[in-house]
Amino acid sequence: MLLSFNWLKEFVPYSGTAEELGAMLTMLGLELEEVLHPYAEIAQVVVGRVLTCENHPDSDHLHVCTVDVGGQEPLNIVCGAPNVAAGQLVPVAPVGATLPGGIVIKKAKLRGVPSFGMICSERELGLADDHSGILVLPEADRFGRRPELGERFIEAYGLDQEVLDISITPNRADCLSVHGFARLIGAYLGLPVSLPEFTLEENGEDISMTVPVEVLDGDLCPSYTGRIIKGAKTGPSPAWMRWRLNAVGIRAISNLVDVTNYILMELGQPLHAFDHNKLKGSRIIVRPATDGEELVTLDGQKRALKAGDGLICDADRPVALAGVMGGLETEITGESESVFLECAVFRPSSIRLTARRLGLNSEASYRYERGVDPTGMAFALDRAAALMAELSGASVCRGICKCTPRPWKPVPVRFRRSRAEALLGVPLTDEFCLKTLESLGCTVQCGDAEWTVCAPGWRYDLTREADLIEEIAIFKGVDRLGETLPSIPHNLESFGAPESRHAFMMRVKHWAAGLGLNEAVNYSFVGTADLDFLGLPEDGRVRIMNPLTAEQDVLRTELAPGLFQDVRRNLAQSAPGVRLFEIAECFTQDVSSDTTVREVRHMAMVLTGTRFDEVWGHEQADMDYADIRGLVEKLFAWLHLDTPSFALADGHAYLAPAVRVSMADGTAAGIIGRLKPALADSYLAKKPVWYADVDLDLLRKASQDRRAAFKALPVFPAVRRDITFIAPLDMHAETLLSAVRGVKGQLLDSAELLYVYEPEGAGVRNVTCRLTFRREDRTLQDGEVDKEREKIAAAVVRQLGVTV
Amino acid sequence: MDLLEQLNGLASKLEEQLRQITTAAELEAARIDFLGRKGRLAELMSHLRDLSPQDRPGFGQAANAVKQRLLDIFEERRKRQEEEKESAFLAKFDPSLPGRSVWNGSLHPITLAMQEVCSVFQNMGYEIAGGPEVETDFNCFEALNMPPEHPARDMQDTLYITDKILLRTHTSCVQVRTMMKRRPPLAIIGPGKVYRRDSDVTHTPMFHQIEGLLVDKHVTMADLRGTLTAFVRAVFGSSTRVRFRPSFFPFTEPSAEVDMSCTQCGGHGHVDGQPCRVCKGSGWLEILGSGMVDPAVFQAVGYDPEAFTGFAFGLGVERIAMLKYGLTDLRMNFENDVRFLHQFPA
Repeated sequence: MLLSFNWLKEFVPYSGTAEELGAMLTMLGLELEEVLHPYAEIAQVVVGRVLTCENHPDSDHLHVCTVDVGGQEPLNIVCGAPNVAAGQLVPVAPVGATLPGGIVIKKAKLRGVPSFGMICSERELGLADDHSGILVLPEADRFGRRPELGERFIEAYGLDQEVLDISITPNRADCLSVHGFARLIGAYLGLPVSLPEFTLEENGEDISMTVPVEVLDGDLCPSYTGRIIKGAKTGPSPAWMRWRLNAVGIRAISNLVDVTNYILMELGQPLHAFDHNKLKGSRIIVRPATDGEELVTLDGQKRALKAGDGLICDADRPVALAGVMGGLETEITGESESVFLECAVFRPSSIRLTARRLGLNSEASYRYERGVDPTGMAFALDRAAALMAELSGASVCRGICKCTPRPWKPVPVRFRRSRAEALLGVPLTDEFCLKTLESLGCTVQCGDAEWTVCAPGWRYDLTREADLIEEIAIFKGVDRLGETLPSIPHNLESFGAPESRHAFMMRVKHWAAGLGLNEAVNYSFVGTADLDFLGLPEDGRVRIMNPLTAEQDVLRTELAPGLFQDVRRNLAQSAPGVRLFEIAECFTQDVSSDTTVREVRHMAMVLTGTRFDEVWGHEQADMDYADIRGLVEKLFAWLHLDTPSFALADGHAYLAPAVRVSMADGTAAGIIGRLKPALADSYLAKKPVWYADVDLDLLRKASQDRRAAFKALPVFPAVRRDITFIAPLDMHAETLLSAVRGVKGQLLDSAELLYVYEPEGAGVRNVTCRLTFRREDRTLQDGEVDKEREKIAAAVVRQLGVTV
Repeated sequence: MDLLEQLNGLASKLEEQLRQITTAAELEAARIDFLGRKGRLAELMSHLRDLSPQDRPGFGQAANAVKQRLLDIFEERRKRQEEEKESAFLAKFDPSLPGRSVWNGSLHPITLAMQEVCSVFQNMGYEIAGGPEVETDFNCFEALNMPPEHPARDMQDTLYITDKILLRTHTSCVQVRTMMKRRPPLAIIGPGKVYRRDSDVTHTPMFHQIEGLLVDKHVTMADLRGTLTAFVRAVFGSSTRVRFRPSFFPFTEPSAEVDMSCTQCGGHGHVDGQPCRVCKGSGWLEILGSGMVDPAVFQAVGYDPEAFTGFAFGLGVERIAMLKYGLTDLRMNFENDVRFLHQFPA
């Protein structure tokens, strides 16, 4: 809301500065965004009188003028405007002055004649669009004061130099006008508020009977009134009104239309002016639309209407979308001479629905959605009619056409001082509460413990005790209430409960970061194309109905698309290695969920490039399967879960090889593998991209009862022996290890892989296993261990057909 | 006696030999030569059985003495060699060689900020609660006193899945879910992702919030002020000033925005005579939205608003992260550039 400081002061004698007012309003809940100076750019423009005006000797359109700007010598100014003439009062930008758009006036020579300034048009001053000629100023401002020559233009004519941009929360419909602000400031500071004075002269026959208004739905339109103004001459509004509207961001159109906007900004009451001669039949009907009806609105758009939209109709057809926008056919034009001026209140929710659906947000609908004061209608209508008559030379017909199916009734609200004290935590006096409520316009019936309070018509937001208590808090000063620390309640049940999901996730994040991975956070939505690119199933995807872009139109079913994009971005920045993890929800449709969506927290890790960022101190190598698998194995071990099993999975969408990770009981827990090279290309990856994904909710559940369990340390030393098998290339290491472990014997404690070596061109590989022998009851002798090793080697050779 | 002479001559022979050698391997070879199983001492000892029984004890004693003497010589030489090695190592040791880097793991700044905020409230005794990111219209709006067509819905542009299912626009849904499940007293905070249909320099369509809720008998607005002042001081330092400013949220009444003195200019509004960039010259930064739980919310979840009062608050995690770590570009949070991530080592 743009609030002119000058305009406000016409309503309330506020004596501080605009900045002080803004600070005060901020602490009343009406936050000042900034103080605007709409006319700062033309501050150096002065008022001048054209003394002489001659044609330029070498031009057919330029004039050479002398202009008195109050200095000792008149200025010589060359002016190209067709309407410049001696005797005019004009705005002059002298040499050195600035104009909107960063223009600086310089001494110039136009076709040989020197010029010491510029006589300006309204457009050049940023006041309006008019550029047909220079702006000829009235001899006096609207209060009759005559400007002095050389006086600053914006001061001489009282332009609105300071405008407060205030953000209005949806509950404060009462502060959507100059009057509304004046009312609040008056209440808070105890200042008198004065409404503009005017005299309304009514003429001719009483139209209240001859133009009947019918409201067919009283919920939609509780009250509808109108006046008729006849004999209007349309034309531009007076300068003061145009410039004031301009200062608060409203384009001036014509005297009749400008009055409706002026009253809207001043009193907060939206008005609509119909060209009365274009209304058919002498009647107004307010009714809900039916599906399929159409109306061409002021902006020339044909609007398809739906049941529930409010319509204003004449005898034949709809002529306006109630509270949102007028119809094109009955709009005020330059030829209009008779006006039907509408002043009504409509149901906020209905206006909002219509405005939202049609994407039509007008100053009127904005106010109606929030609530317009039904008790202020009569004043606004009369003031607007009087102003129209004054500005257009028209006369106002006697009487008001009206229909008020739901007259405004104050709603009693209970108020207890004790409740206010209990909620705010501060002692209050009856006196303070009463004074506050009454200053806001409430009527208060005091009782002993309980008062009955009725809010005024402009306070739609005061319907409950809590609302009244808020007003008390605001006037008391929300920043001046006490500060206490509450004792936080606990219940016994919460102690010893399993670790929360949040705590578990945080623990895993710390584990991963401590291990050396970098945590990534990606958007939960991706593009359908991203999922398609990775070949992920279409079934079960959760699509966004109104996405911002096609790149964000579906919720991710896996973390892979985001992490691969991160890989791409990092490789584009020449990162030698990327080691990321992300822990976040994956979304799929699920009819059994109350949100229709199943959300599972996954952890994904991606590795690509060199194992270490720095060459120093490391054998340089690219990360491989062992790196990614090691992370998954370590995660399981760290969570005290049994060692998972790893098995090749065929036909994975984007990984090859893909290795299924299963819990010890066979439950699928995740997948690891290498991004298919054909896909990796588009992520700029030249080196293998290793990826792992695990269902973290599953791991959390499985690990909930697991904890570290102490095992007694062995008493007797272990003896180690290695065996190197020469095995076919396609024999998995695990096959050999299992065979080793499977040989019956009393001495073998464990068998691990030591090396795999593939001699060039041999078609076989050498797999070295390290065997650890131990007995719990005695130290082993070398001889018996060697014998056992031979026995195992021979058994494996026999079983698998490998050689040693 | 020839044998005895030979025995006694071993020590001087060894000393002479050791004068010729330098390396540890040569020392070991000499040790085997003299003291090994088939070495010179052993060879002489093998003649022991040739001696007469009365000579044997004397020879034996002499042999032991020689053996000890040899061992001492070796030990002394070995020590000297080690000392030489150690001083050579120390002489050429280069302390300027860089350390071997390990992986630079990191936690996302949003996680760090979230954890810091959560731990402040956990220390006060609040429990962490959660809820889904895809929510029902009821939990996200209706139960929070935002019926359909309430103008407050304009404050939050929503991403919808269907007419009634949406991506939660705030973590306040966590309040609703928790209150529907449990009876007061309640003290919870709900951290998580939230979504709005908004994307520009100062808005990302996904961001993070933390919701807080305390419901009990006799909770007051002064309690709210004390709690949030304590929070701001805990996170931003004890000299940070806090300001409560009336505002509007559909689910709280009275409502207040919480501002804190600017972290950049200390609340003066200017730095070196220029208006402060961070607070735009106001000296204040908006940091939290808060208020007393609206009775309509209590009614929606089946609590008696006469019996219980409570407060709720919500804050943006990105904002905290930006202020704490001096981040300037919101979008960088979601680009996961490792050069960015490495700056937040964990």
